[in-house]
Amino acid sequence: GCGCEIKPRLLGLACMRMSSITKGRRISAVLLDITGVLYESSAGGGREIPGSVGAVESLRKAGYKLKFCTNESQITRKALVSKLRKHGFSLTEEEVHSPAPACRRYLLDNGLRPYLIVHPSALADYEGLDTTSPNAVVLGDATDELSYPNLNKAFRILMNQPGSKLISLGKSRYYQEGDSLTLDVGPFMKALEYATNLEAEVIGKPSKTFFSSALQDLEVEPENAMMIGDDVVSDVGGAQSCGMLGFLVRTGKYRVEDENHATVKPDGIFDNLSQAIQLLLGSKC
Amino acid sequence: GATKAITMQRGLRVRGVLLDLSGTLHVEDTPTPRAVEAMARLKSSGIPFRFITNTTKEPKCELLARLGRIGFTVGEEEVFTSLTAARRVVEREKLRPLLLLEDSAKRDFEGVSTDEPNSVVVGLAPTHFNYATMNQAFGLLMAGARLIAIHKSKYFKTLDGLSLGPGPFVTALEYASGKTATVVGKPERAFYECVLREMGLGLDMDADGNNCNVTSSSVGECVMIGDDVSLDVHGSQSLGMKGILVKTGKYREGDESTISPPPAAVCNNLAEAVDLILGLSAS
Repeated sequence: GCGCEIKPRLLGLACMRMSSITKGRRISAVLLDITGVLYESSAGGGREIPGSVGAVESLRKAGYKLKFCTNESQITRKALVSKLRKHGFSLTEEEVHSPAPACRRYLLDNGLRPYLIVHPSALADYEGLDTTSPNAVVLGDATDELSYPNLNKAFRILMNQPGSKLISLGKSRYYQEGDSLTLDVGPFMKALEYATNLEAEVIGKPSKTFFSSALQDLEVEPENAMMIGDDVVSDVGGAQSCGMLGFLVRTGKYRVEDENHATVKPDGIFDNLSQAIQLLLGSKC
Repeated sequence: GATKAITMQRGLRVRGVLLDLSGTLHVEDTPTPRAVEAMARLKSSGIPFRFITNTTKEPKCELLARLGRIGFTVGEEEVFTSLTAARRVVEREKLRPLLLLEDSAKRDFEGVSTDEPNSVVVGLAPTHFNYATMNQAFGLLMAGARLIAIHKSKYFKTLDGLSLGPGPFVTALEYASGKTATVVGKPERAFYECVLREMGLGLDMDADGNNCNVTSSSVGECVMIGDDVSLDVHGSQSLGMKGILVKTGKYREGDESTISPPPAAVCNNLAEAVDLILGLSAS
């Protein structure tokens, strides 16, 4: 047989559906979002989304190149990998593509000294940068650090320093935390843009540069890659703008309205990562 | 300089007068020239009037006390603030609000139920613009709550520099929830509609106070007096009112040429504006 996990009597129909998933492209790399796809985040450390550990293993066994693309900046990459391993995932730091390294590079390349509004646990990613007399503001998904006094300080830096830059690690509206949606960095980026009339530099999903650099690391062309995420704008839209296929899963922050987004049309929508990967691997028949 | 009357005709029936406070009725703790006496005359003329202000930090009782110390006796019902406008919207639509307002401003919402909120009212409230409260407001909006903003100013002046106003935080909630806020403070249309309705001079009412569908002529017979050419004069004229610009407070030479259409009249101060109105109404 072809190794399909679908029952034999459905084989014909299933194979027809499955091959349309990759739209006739030869996919050799899969980019995966983390929170909302691999695991659900919550106060007690979160839990694996059923089937995700197995899905990742199946992808590796089948020889796909992998990159875990996340905007999360509440902990360092190292700590994130450690956390995911506790849930049963096997992955390395190099496989995690996050905005922090790109942000560092951007700051250094442009002679910027940042005022960082990021979660305290993520500060280590910015060690060594000159933060005196800040002429830039970096906003991350900093939860309680996104306070009025901190945002006001950021506002004054942007208004008073000539040539100051506002940098936002992504622009997502919200994410799933426990059993409810919680504010992400996007709304606070919009707040400062409104107050200052400046346009933020978005580093991370959905920026094309973020996805391109992930593909460059993998030495894969966009046509041979696909992204799977729970954020229709940042994950799916962002990936598609780079020339990749973008798939939406109905876990994490997903809401029914996302399936009828005004501008982003996912190349496919699945109940969860496990279902998506089963169908992808099944399509090799 | 003489009073310049441009488009205010003799025979114009003035049905209502709106007056700005700071910069128009008084400047700091000093009444503008002859203002106390002018207000007494306006009051005895029987023409309905209201003082209107955008302040969201001071509850009415404190505002009235302050005006009293300056020399004006003002009744509670004679002042209409942006907080009043917000309260009217909440009452009219039978909403229960989460109030993102400082404690002093919340006093203007006494009597309004805030249990199980189904709306979010945002004013200038630095102590509430923290992540936890913003998240609470966001949760309510996602569950279907209405978003009402007193105003959307970007920043305001404080002793140690500029500080973020409510505008950025309203923008944050709009972006996060996908909803558009109803802005009710001066100089929004909703603000003027609210105060005129309060005075029985609704935009949807004809000259005899009957409801009608067409934009009525009664609005054109309402006058706004203020020192801010953009917020006071242009804002009210956009609704069809007559705007009188006074040369006190923040007025700067040439302000009258910066809006189109120009102010219906330009007067040296509030007292002369009242003279003009009473003079016209007398004919």
